[in-house]
Amino acid sequence: MTTIDRARFATGLTYAAFKDQMTRNRDRVEANEARVEIAAEDLEAFRAVNGPIHVLALAEDWCGDVIANLPVLGMIAKESGTLDVRVFLRDQNKDLMQTYLNQGKYESIPVFAFFDDAFNELGVFIERPSTVTEHRAEQRKQIHADHPEFGEYGSSPDALPEAARAQLTAEITKRREADIAWANREVVRSLREIVERSPAAA
Amino acid sequence: MTAVRVRITYCAECGYEDAAADLARALMIEFREKLSAIELVPFVDGTFDVRIGDDLVHSMLRDGGFPNPDLVKAAITSRLRV
Repeated sequence: MTTIDRARFATGLTYAAFKDQMTRNRDRVEANEARVEIAAEDLEAFRAVNGPIHVLALAEDWCGDVIANLPVLGMIAKESGTLDVRVFLRDQNKDLMQTYLNQGKYESIPVFAFFDDAFNELGVFIERPSTVTEHRAEQRKQIHADHPEFGEYGSSPDALPEAARAQLTAEITKRREADIAWANREVVRSLREIVERSPAAA
Repeated sequence: MTAVRVRITYCAECGYEDAAADLARALMIEFREKLSAIELVPFVDGTFDVRIGDDLVHSMLRDGGFPNPDLVKAAITSRLRV
């Protein structure tokens, strides 16, 4: 397992540098930045920490969860001034990825690992909040319950006729769009919980 | 020889295009003209499914993660022998 220290952390990309090296989806990242709303009490919680908190982010520009959730971290860092974010590309930093495998086996990203100024780990966020994953599953079950033409929940969409699959795609996408603000708040809540659990919290 | 058709359904909102294309390319190189078709189907919601003929040999929802390409190749090989 790789141990993060100040020297390794400093080799990561700033959030701005990560965006500058993106070869795709920068427009989606910046669109998501514009949609991030951080409540005053949440922002105050991030501002209240004692000393800088270093956040190691594992990411790639193709990943939907990175596109959705890294901008939330980036905006919290920008607005609070207390989070020092460095982004590491997953596929160029396999040793770091092995340290933060999802369920011990999946290379899920983003990973946001929080450290105090002595590089003691404070907590880790992987992929997306569990509440968001659970909500999406419930939504999908409801869609299938409401629309028998989409088949049973859990069945592969590849068995559907193309027209039905297109309708299912549209239905999922519509609900996903409607939930973006809530999902962003869940990311903020998850990251705030990590920060507030830390000894650095005021 | 039995004609074998492969369908890879991937989550486009998740950015699984490269994973789908990499698997398709590996199968193209391994089996060349022995496959009747490789179909790439964009979808959403964390999907990465591989169907060989009528059999769903991998589902990210059911099995977790991406498929092991060697297991997909083995499944195709067994069907080509039928």
